[in-house]
Amino acid sequence: MASILFLVIATIGLATALGTVLSRNLVRAGLYLVAFFFAVACLFVLLEAEFLAAIQVLVYIGAVAILLMFGIMLTRDTMGDDTTAIPVGWMVPGLFGGLCVFAVLVVGINNSIAPSGWSPWEGTSSRPSIVKEEAEPGWVAERREAVNDMGRVIGVELMTRYVVPFEVAGLLLTAALVGAIALAHREDPDPKPPRSANRAAGPGAGDGPSTEAEEPVASSVSS
Amino acid sequence: MIPDEVWRSAVVPVANLQLVELNLQTWIRWALWLAVGFAGIFPGIVAYMVWLERKVAARFQDRIGPNRVGPLGLLQPIADAIKLITKENIVPRSADRIVHLLAPILVLVSAFLVMAVVPFAVGLVPVDLPSGLVYLIAVSSLSPLGIFLAGWSSRNKYSLLGAMRAVAQLVSYEVPQVLATIPVALWAGSLSLVTIFDRQLEFGWNVFSPPGFLAFATFLIAGVAEVNRTPFDLPEAESEIIAGYHTEYTGMRFGLFFLAEYLSVFGVSCVATVLFLGGGTPIPFLEFPVDLLGDSTASLIVVNLILLSVFLLKVLGFIFLMFWIRATLPRMRVDRLMNFAWKYLVPLSILNVFFAAIWYEMVIRPGGLTFGNWLRGTLVTGVLVAAAVYLTFLLNRKLAEAKPLDADWPSVAPATEAAR
Repeated sequence: MASILFLVIATIGLATALGTVLSRNLVRAGLYLVAFFFAVACLFVLLEAEFLAAIQVLVYIGAVAILLMFGIMLTRDTMGDDTTAIPVGWMVPGLFGGLCVFAVLVVGINNSIAPSGWSPWEGTSSRPSIVKEEAEPGWVAERREAVNDMGRVIGVELMTRYVVPFEVAGLLLTAALVGAIALAHREDPDPKPPRSANRAAGPGAGDGPSTEAEEPVASSVSS
Repeated sequence: MIPDEVWRSAVVPVANLQLVELNLQTWIRWALWLAVGFAGIFPGIVAYMVWLERKVAARFQDRIGPNRVGPLGLLQPIADAIKLITKENIVPRSADRIVHLLAPILVLVSAFLVMAVVPFAVGLVPVDLPSGLVYLIAVSSLSPLGIFLAGWSSRNKYSLLGAMRAVAQLVSYEVPQVLATIPVALWAGSLSLVTIFDRQLEFGWNVFSPPGFLAFATFLIAGVAEVNRTPFDLPEAESEIIAGYHTEYTGMRFGLFFLAEYLSVFGVSCVATVLFLGGGTPIPFLEFPVDLLGDSTASLIVVNLILLSVFLLKVLGFIFLMFWIRATLPRMRVDRLMNFAWKYLVPLSILNVFFAAIWYEMVIRPGGLTFGNWLRGTLVTGVLVAAAVYLTFLLNRKLAEAKPLDADWPSVAPATEAAR
């Protein structure tokens, strides 16, 4: 039962991930990405990590995906259907980046830390019972605690074992924030109105591809 | 691990941890909830909320309201539903068909899923997740996506404008709303809504503490904004952008948006009741005797009926408050709306987390509610909260005064560019 469910969810996840990469319409690609995030949340539920699943939906679908789409609409054609082609020069670096991510994932998953006395690749297990039984292996108790009190367990783990990745991720996000501001913020010497005001009047004026020429910022962000 | 152990033994007795056991009984209970509650009762509540709103709004505007179909117009919602279902469904030719059909479902699912963790009375909770509060925030953050997709897929400039407004507003107001729930989770030491409810039996309703009151006010304002009701109904402002994101929807698909909106009004009222008003307990500081008439099934039913009716009364109070606000206040301007979220609510609710920690140290950490602790906590945090509110408003006033008079108006593009 669980393995069939896993296969279905994994298939959906892979298909939507491919859709994200191959879709020509940017908003469509964003939608596929949302579906992919949802498949990942389903995988978390399969692993009995409801808290993580909720966080996944909250952060990735509720915030990242929406801001992504908002960004697409603010910087590009509002309908998002300029059929973007990948420049040939970017294909090799992109492929290289993808392979690097894959390698990191393989190493990370193979070195994952299992609960005590439980091989990471061993079979399936049902949700541990609430009631403590005598003579249960060590991992059952750990799993029970993790399932029933996940928020606290994750907090403790992030502050002890995974504190370095946690801080590095925080640093990366800060860098991304600063970079985004540096890209988007231009010191305009002439008192022209800000782009946002210009844009706010834009959709009312028609949704044709009218603003292709005047967008150095948008194209530099998206490429 | 040692500090964690100490903290836990101080905060939550282990027996208080809420656990879900997956057995046949649980499955049957969930199926019952799905069939009776989610397919029957909640849509019915929504239908009569619409009727109530029309009656209340009519009363405010010195009219009579619906009175033709049935006594007092009581059958009006049913007539409306039949009308909506039998209407033709139109998908605009240039619309993105699949997304257009998917969007209302997404909004509705988000509104329904919120109801899944609300404890209506003792034992009367669809699913008691150990991390219910996070789940609740997560599923309610799905609805901006549905609204965005509805506006985008319609290929209509008014829909798109409504969608952009909706996303900007919902994303902004989600921040203070989530921040306002932190004090509650902190005081309960758990994310489970049932545990939060239980802790309020011990320590009084959360709203009866200065940080709790500030959090409650923030939550309520942000909640009204989250469900797109006046004065925050910019995404569907009729006088400006027709109907906003659901301009292109007809028949029951429009009805689904309508259903979702009223359902989330109900949901936000339920959540506010559970988080801040002690669920269904009738008296603030008294522990409600769950075994009032002995330990029998009949007593449990009676007690649950009392709890449920008090709960629904409180929810009705919230709903009436929202109708009242809608009938009284005009719509806000877009930039003021964003200013209010980011310059008033967010700093206040971040400060409020510190005040909540002080309250926790003074009142909840000693264990058990005593009048002396409560009074001392109220005095200290009350002064702090009042000072924070005063300072926030004062600073914002000063900042606004420093600017030229029309600085908060969006600058208009030169005529040549507008005529492009």
